[in-house]
Amino acid sequence: MLETAIHIENLHVSYKEIGSYSIKRMLLHGKKKQEKAFHALKGISFDVPQGEILGIIGKNGSGKSTLLNTVGGVFSADSGVIDLGGRRVSLLSIGVGFQKNISGRENIMLNGLLLGFTEQQIREKLPEIIEFSELGEFIDKPVKTYSKGMYSKLAFSITAFLETDIILIDEILSVGDEHFKKKSAKKMKELISDENRTVLIVSHSISTLQQLCTRVLWLHDGTIKMLGDTKEVLAAYQQFM
Amino acid sequence: MNRFFSDIKKYASYIRYATKSDLQAEVANSYLNWLWWILEPLCFMGIYAFIFSMFSSSKVAYLTAFIFLGITIWEFFNKLLTVSVNLVRSNKPIVSKIYLPKYVLLLEKMLLNGFKTAINFAIVILLMVIYRVPLTLQMLWALPVLLSFIIFTFGICTIFLHFGVYVEDLNNATKIGLRLVFYTAGVFYNLSDKVASSVGYWLLRLNPIAMYINDMRNTLLYGEAPNFLWLGLWTAVGIVLSIGGILMVQKNENNYVKVL
Repeated sequence: MLETAIHIENLHVSYKEIGSYSIKRMLLHGKKKQEKAFHALKGISFDVPQGEILGIIGKNGSGKSTLLNTVGGVFSADSGVIDLGGRRVSLLSIGVGFQKNISGRENIMLNGLLLGFTEQQIREKLPEIIEFSELGEFIDKPVKTYSKGMYSKLAFSITAFLETDIILIDEILSVGDEHFKKKSAKKMKELISDENRTVLIVSHSISTLQQLCTRVLWLHDGTIKMLGDTKEVLAAYQQFM
Repeated sequence: MNRFFSDIKKYASYIRYATKSDLQAEVANSYLNWLWWILEPLCFMGIYAFIFSMFSSSKVAYLTAFIFLGITIWEFFNKLLTVSVNLVRSNKPIVSKIYLPKYVLLLEKMLLNGFKTAINFAIVILLMVIYRVPLTLQMLWALPVLLSFIIFTFGICTIFLHFGVYVEDLNNATKIGLRLVFYTAGVFYNLSDKVASSVGYWLLRLNPIAMYINDMRNTLLYGEAPNFLWLGLWTAVGIVLSIGGILMVQKNENNYVKVL
């Protein structure tokens, strides 16, 4: 039996009673700003075995991104259990913490450190990242001189060379011109397909999920509508929509 | 608290590298580059020396060093507290995509401002040499005073970092509060000379910034020991604020992004 990489039990996440206050408003009106409660995840439970690529689908506001952010440690849960068995987890996103006045090379270091890699590990990956980014001599120029495409290429290259045990992806990343789009999509597939890596992918693209995922989780209004075989879940979801 | 120390260890490289990047970014657009870090405080020192020698009838010994030391301590506190209030909001692109202990952001800013403060202290030492301030053993007390000041600043900044996320206009209130602290801290004048004696007496004890400035001046310039009782009390307050602030941030930091 495969080892469980992600164990989620009775997970509740809400935005209720969490809002910002204003001293001015409290002084003038003598009360806090009223916040509407929003229950994003309502007691969901599921397990993901190691090496599985689990797709997550659902309409906007169903709790998909909240789930990824909570598993990734960006949000905290109101109650419930998230057990990753001590595995390293990363939420893939483009351009975390870019400092525009320093060079691309220095930004790679900064991003890597921010993502928990050591200086030594980043230095080892540096040539691969630079080569993949196709930035050439621009890698030593300030990021503010980059075009939008170059910026995305650098960001993707940093992201793609991450090697954590669990990867959380909010929409498949493919960036840049047509050539780089194909290259980045291929790299992303390579990254996901590693049999030891557990992946959660949030996507609205049925074809992407069909192509990549072993199982699919369908979230609806913060609850699990269906979890199972990719074909079956996607067929039911399409029918529902 | 163990988590705090392991976080510092884990993110030490990031703090160091981000500080270096921030410093580079600050001077990237200027022709004089890093020389600005020295030129800026030197120019300010020249301005203060000119203004106060022209318009002040004060008979404070080593006036330029006296004022510059006050400004150095004040600027460190002022800049850090101001930046702390908006620290999480201004780092939204990072904190909404990745988990990072939020006090790491504060420690990075402390290192950045600490570097600039170190340059200012080098200028203070230069002024002391020019003034031929006598060397005394009391000068060594400046180190524990400085340490206490850093702990106090960190403590209060973690509290403001936390509430800055939830209170939209804390920034405005902080600016007003800082003005009050500034004018009662004796940055440009000697509190015991300028304010009615009992008011000056209590300001030097109840306004921690006034106390730290006064203690630094006394130890470095006038060969006097700090006021141990009040230094001890404010150190204890700083430690309590730091521990409270760290625990508060640790407990709530994963909710910050829901508010931003």
